[in-house]
Formats: sequence, C-alpha cells, structure tokens
Amino acid sequence: MLSSLRAKFIRGEEVKYISHLDLMQVCARAIRRAHIPIAYSQGFNPHPQMVFGLPMSVGVTSEAEYAEFDFSSPIEPDDFVERLNKELPAGLQIVEAKAKKSKGNIMALITTASYDILVSSTKKMGINNVNQKLDEFLSKPALIVKKEGKKGVRDVDIKPMIYRLKAEALKEEETGEEQEQCKCSNPVILEYMSKLSAIDTKKLSYEIDNMFCLSMLLSAGAAANLKPDLLVAAINETSDIEIKLVKVHRTGLFVGKEGRIIDPLDPAVL
Amino acid sequence: MPLKISDEILSSVEKPSRYIGNEWNSVHKNPNEMKIRFAFCFPDVYEVGMSHLGMKILYHLLNERNDTYCERVFAPWVDMESKMREHDIPLFALESHDPINTFDFVGFTLQYEMSYTNIINMLDLAGIPLRSSERTKEHPFVCAGGPCAYNPEPLADVVDFFMLGEGEEIITEIMDIYSEWKAEDSSREEFLNRIVSIEGVYIPQFYEVKYNPDGTVNGVVPKKDHYPDKIKKRIIKDLDQTYFPDKIIVPFTDIVHDRIMLELFRGCTRGCRFCQAGFIYRPVRERSHEKLLELAKKLEESTGYEEISLTSLSTSDYTRLAPLTEGLIKEMEEKRVNLSLPSLRIDSFSLDLMEKAQKVRKSGLTFAPEAGTQRLRDVINKGVTEEDLLNSVSIAFNGGWNGVKLYFMIGLPTETYEDIEGIADLANKVVSAYMGVPKEKRGKGLNVTVSTSSFVPKPFTPFQWEAQDTMNTLRDKQRFLKDKIKSRYITYNWHESEVSFMESVFARGDRKTCDVLIKAWEKGCKFDGWGEHFKFKTWMEAFDECNVDPDFYSNRKRSYDEVLPWDHIDVGVSKKFLIKESEKAHRGELTSNCRVDCSGCGATAFGGGICVE
Ligand code: SF4
Repeated sequence: MLSSLRAKFIRGEEVKYISHLDLMQVCARAIRRAHIPIAYSQGFNPHPQMVFGLPMSVGVTSEAEYAEFDFSSPIEPDDFVERLNKELPAGLQIVEAKAKKSKGNIMALITTASYDILVSSTKKMGINNVNQKLDEFLSKPALIVKKEGKKGVRDVDIKPMIYRLKAEALKEEETGEEQEQCKCSNPVILEYMSKLSAIDTKKLSYEIDNMFCLSMLLSAGAAANLKPDLLVAAINETSDIEIKLVKVHRTGLFVGKEGRIIDPLDPAVL
Repeated sequence: MPLKISDEILSSVEKPSRYIGNEWNSVHKNPNEMKIRFAFCFPDVYEVGMSHLGMKILYHLLNERNDTYCERVFAPWVDMESKMREHDIPLFALESHDPINTFDFVGFTLQYEMSYTNIINMLDLAGIPLRSSERTKEHPFVCAGGPCAYNPEPLADVVDFFMLGEGEEIITEIMDIYSEWKAEDSSREEFLNRIVSIEGVYIPQFYEVKYNPDGTVNGVVPKKDHYPDKIKKRIIKDLDQTYFPDKIIVPFTDIVHDRIMLELFRGCTRGCRFCQAGFIYRPVRERSHEKLLELAKKLEESTGYEEISLTSLSTSDYTRLAPLTEGLIKEMEEKRVNLSLPSLRIDSFSLDLMEKAQKVRKSGLTFAPEAGTQRLRDVINKGVTEEDLLNSVSIAFNGGWNGVKLYFMIGLPTETYEDIEGIADLANKVVSAYMGVPKEKRGKGLNVTVSTSSFVPKPFTPFQWEAQDTMNTLRDKQRFLKDKIKSRYITYNWHESEVSFMESVFARGDRKTCDVLIKAWEKGCKFDGWGEHFKFKTWMEAFDECNVDPDFYSNRKRSYDEVLPWDHIDVGVSKKFLIKESEKAHRGELTSNCRVDCSGCGATAFGGGICVE
C-alpha cells in the first residue's frame, strides 16, 4: 500500500536561479541521500514519484511551495522533514509535511497565489499616493492586457484575477503611525533590501530610494494564472504609475474549495 | 549567497546558475582563516568544466588542507562577460564570489589547445597581467597542468610555473613550500627558486630558448646550473593508495557528464601511434576492483547520483572488469543506480553486460576503426581488423541494435585516396552485415553514421615529426569521401579543417606562438572550441601581424635530429622508442601491447604499473 504526504517548502535566494526541472532533480537526489523510501513509477524509465505545485519562474523566491511524494513503505511526516532537510542544499528547506489521504494532486488543486514583490518607480511617490492610484487602476471596468499563451498572443481581462493589491512602504518615516498597515513587514523582503543597499547601487538601473513593496493575491493555477510581471506591465500601461519590477517573492499558494481559499496543508484538502 | 553580483545582471544572462555556486558538496571556508587561496580555473563554461574528473579530485584534495581554500572558476559565457566588463566586475571565484586577483594561486587545467585564448581572457577579466614578466608580488602565481602542459611552450610567457603529470602529490609539495615562503615575506623569484627542484615543476622564465637561423629550436637552456635540464613528469605509482574524494560536487543544473565517474586505471596499453594519451600517461596503472567498489558506494551515498560511469582510455582493457561490473550491478540495482559503460569493445561479454547494466536504448553503438584499410590501420598500430569490426556489429545487430557510429581520421601519415575509399567500403559492409541479419532479430531502421576528424600530429607520439595535411587537401579528402558514400543508410559528418589546423599549430608550437595567442585574443578570439565563436580569419591576421607562419608548425615534416620545442620535457617514453615506432609505422609493422610484450618504451623508469607487474 502506497503512502503519500504533502510538504511545504521554502525556495530561498541561494536556489532561485535553478529551473523548475532542475529543482526536481535536486530534490530527487536529496531524497536518495536521505534514504527516503520514495516510490518509483513503473515502466522503461522509472522515476521518483513526486509532484510539485505551481512551476516557478527562474529568479523567484518563495516561502510557501508545495510538493507531494509517494512512498514504497510508510514514513512519518516529521521523520521525512528531518531526514530530507539534512540533505537539502542551502536555500531549500522543508517547513512542514502532512500525510495525504485524498487523490487530488497539488498541481491541479492550486487556484490562488499571494506575492510580495519589490518595485521601483521612476518618480519618487508617497505610499498613500501609490495606493490611491492603485485603487483608481482597480476601479476600471476591465484591464485588458496582451498575454502570451500556447496559441500566440491574445487579449485577456486580468481584472477578475486580481483579488487584492496594496502598496507597502519599506521604510518607517514614510508611513507614520496611523498607517502601520501600509508598511511592509515581510522579513524576506526586508532582508533583501538590506543586502541590496550593501552592494554598489550605482550599478543598478533603478533607484533604491524609490522602491516599495506590492502585496497581492492573484488567481493562479491551471484555470487562470496571473503572474506578477504581467500585472506590473498592466499597471505601467493603464495607470499613471511607472514602475520597474525588481524582485518577486511568493508568500502563499492556496487551494480553492467551495468559494473559499484554504491552506494546502489544511486537513480539509489533504 | 552574498549578493555581490546583482540580480539585475544574473537575471539578464543565459543560465545564471553557472555563476551562483553553493552546490551540494561544494566547500565553503572562512577566507580570513586561510593562509592559501587557490583559484582552480577551467578555461571553458561551467557545464564543460564541471564534467572534468581531474578538477573534482584536486579541488577536494586541496580543500582537505586546513590552511588552503580552493575555489572554482569557469570562463563566463560571452553574455556574462560583457555584463562583467560593463559593470567592472572582476573575474570571481564561485564559492566566495571574491575577485581572484587577490588569491595566492590561479591554476589552469589545460585540456585542449582551443581553450588557450580563454586563459588569456580570464586573466584579463581578473585584472592579472597577461605575461609572467609583468607580474609583481601583488599578483597571484599563475600555474597550469593537464595533458596540454606536456608542450608548455605556447603558454611559456603567460604561466609562472607548470606542473607536469599527475597532480595529487606535486600540488601538495608546492603548497607546503608556499606556506613557508609566505610567512617569510621574500621575493617572487625566491619562491620559484624553491620549487624548481621539485620533480615535475617547469618554470619557463628560468630557461632560454635558442633558435637556429631557419626558425627551428636550437636548444632550451637552463639559465642557472641548478635548474634541471630535463623536467620529468610525475605519476602516482599506486592508485589504490592515492587520494580520491569520497564526495564530489553535485551541480544544480545539467552538465556534460552529470554522474559519478569511476576512474578504473590511468594510461593505456595499446600504443595507437596517433594517440597522445596512450604515450603521455604511461605506464598503465589499475585501481583494484575492491577499491573501486568501495569508492562507488561512498560516492553514491554522498551525492545521490543515479548513474555511475566507468571512465578510462579503453575500459575493456581493465583486467578486473567482470568482477567490478558484477559487484556494481549487485550493489547498485536495488538503489536504482544505472551503470553506463562507454566505449566498450563489442563482444558477447560486453553485450551481455550492457543488457544487464543499463536500460539500453538499442540505438547507438560506437566503433573507432580510425582508418579505412588494414594497411593504414597497421600504420597507426590500431589492432583492429575488418573481421573484428564486422563480427562485432553482427553480434550487435543480432541483439537488436540498429544504430552504429563509426569514427575515422583522415590525413593520417601515408594515407592515400584508396584508404579513404576504404572508409566508404567499410561502412557499406556494415550495412550489408545488418541486411544479413534476419528481419525479426534486428532492430528497425538502420542508421550508420560515419564521422571523420582530421589527424593532428601531437608531441610525444611516433607521429610528432609528421606534417599535417594542408586544409585544402583535407577538404578534398572530405569531398572525395562524401562522393563515395552513396547508401541512404549512411550519414557522413566531418570536422572543419580550420580547427584541426589551429590545433596542430598550438599542439606543436614553440614560444613564438605565445605572441600570436595574445594577439588573437586582443583581436577578439575566445571560445575557439565553440564553432559559433571560432574566427579563423582573425587568427590568420594575428599570425600575420606577429610574423609567425602557421604552416611552419603545422604542415612541415621534421627530421629526427631536429630539436623539438618540448624536448626538455620527459614523459618517460624515450625519443629513441618514438623514432623506432615511427619507422615501424612507415613499414606498416605492428607493435604489441604492454600486456603481451614490453617493447621497452622507457616508462619503466617510473618503477610502477604494468612495467613492474
Ligand atoms: S616499458 Fe614496456 S610495459 Fe612499460 S609502458 Fe613501456 S612498453 Fe609498456
């Protein structure tokens, strides 16, 4: 009898340039080193039975990726996490794993993703001002963008795919106390900013001082997938904010169930 | 990872994972606690360099030392290089991302001549003066080793010292001396003075090259009495006793050889007369199969690799092949590790082995008859007959294979158009052999590929005195062969003769060719081994501007009494033996391999391996 589990993992700075396919290979080899009894597919060229959530673009970091593994003999989720983490390269880390009973696979279940992205505007703007402009942007009846798909470029209305979009300041002084909710508090983003200030900023094509964070919840997955870079392109085209995308960080992936979005490790969807 | 190279740059180049490091089993140390920092440079891109076994060994060997931090450096691909130049980013080491111009050593491995301009380019990117004579105490020592170092002269002005032969011992001896020298704060020359007496060390600036009026070398003379007249290569006598890492780096991205490589033995017993490796690595020394099994187990544990390959010059010659492969299959089957068996001589044993070892796609088998007629195969001492080949392919076709690759060389000494026609004939006979196998037994859709490379005469081979065919002759011969191949089952590929011509110049070049290298680089040559970057016209201009005639090196037949630019290097195999072999070649006489009979090549001097077994 096959047992399975679903695991949540972090993809950090160190491994963000590894392609989705290469990342699977990295995991497969770590699993071998950890002597985890992974199941193999049947057939001429057996490969380890694992499924990864939403494929990620090169350069994107994440604190909430999901993968599922099938085993040839049972293994305790905690045991799995501990053993695999010892064998994973810096930047890759399993946060949590839970036994999985249902048939559905993670790749098909994901409907929504949240991101914190770093952008830099061409003109210096206060965070309230940005949020005002974003509200105007979101109140347009439709947001038509050109989207490249399998059948070539086509027009798509991305408005229904944006569930939440908010700008957050990166520094204290710009917000003031009454706007505490408008300050970015994601440690990954803040650490990236501090590292960025440490390098020779003259070599960057954008202004560090004009940077802010956009926090968003977007439609994701097989049915309708909106990537942050496309949203940024739409903002540049249809609003009077002009921004350059600096970094994309995924903060969450969610499963849609009966009109709600649920954490993939919630017992209701395991 | 330190954010020393901005994401803006990394995300704008092809394959950024080439530049990030941090792979599993890579070694990270605190640079401030290290006495010696060593930049191990491979003058090609990451995927090529990371596939090289020698680098893996020496990287871990150096890092075993508590006082040394060895890091890897590869040639940045052209897109990254232009970003680096634009943003003033000096060449950096993969582990720390620190610029290498502050390191103690910058060491290059010389695997092929066409990587030489990349060495110049990497030094320039690092901000290290190109010529030894221009370096001061602020700069690292630039050293080099690897198979091409046996003729070090084309890089003599660039490299401070060469390490000849197998590196495991010599590199440690040099690091020990360096560590003492560094503590004393004495001159650069003083350090070189201390290592000059280590066997295998060659310091070009300590030698003066004298030329004859006709441009040939008159002699390579030590500038001081205590510098050795001849520099003898190093070998490891007992491979079982020598260091081999039990961890190797597992890259994040696909490299050329992305698997565990087990080195069964060094050297080759066969003595094919065109093959430099067959002479420079003498004598043959094997690892025991017990040791190899032990290594395989450790490496599998530490890497998680799903494939092991056996590497050596001629794997079938390994005397313990049967127990080794049996052991490996037994050990690795349940772990789902595949065994890949490159270039085996095809007989029923090896086919049976292949069936067992790998989930074989029954398409490609390779054979290297090298020449089209028995006469020419005798000249090059390739002990393969037509009957052997046809027997092997028949066995393979009967076993369900349907694809055969045949490798040949054109331009071999004494070659005639008859020999070239022989290539087409042989390929046709392979097609007939397939047709002779009952339909239900053979695989569907025969595909025979004939590939020809152009012969490049190499130092330390019996053919080191030979003239290479001119490019026109080579092209004529390729065209001739193309016309002779008519069967629709046969595909013909050939190598561009310009590249072979350049290889031939630098394989046998003297110190005068060093200026040409630098000139060609100044004019934009790099990545010459990559077809799309090879600029033949620019190279020819560089020769012209330096007043160096490439034909002198490539297309000129030398006499036995000429002093060759590499005569001061001693690989063990004597010049007398090479002359004897050359004469036998021209008479079409065979020389038996070391296992059958010792032919007294001179390698006994090392007191190891097959010569003393
Ligand atoms: S001395 Fe004899 S046995 Fe040793 S390598 Fe030479 S030919 Fe072979």
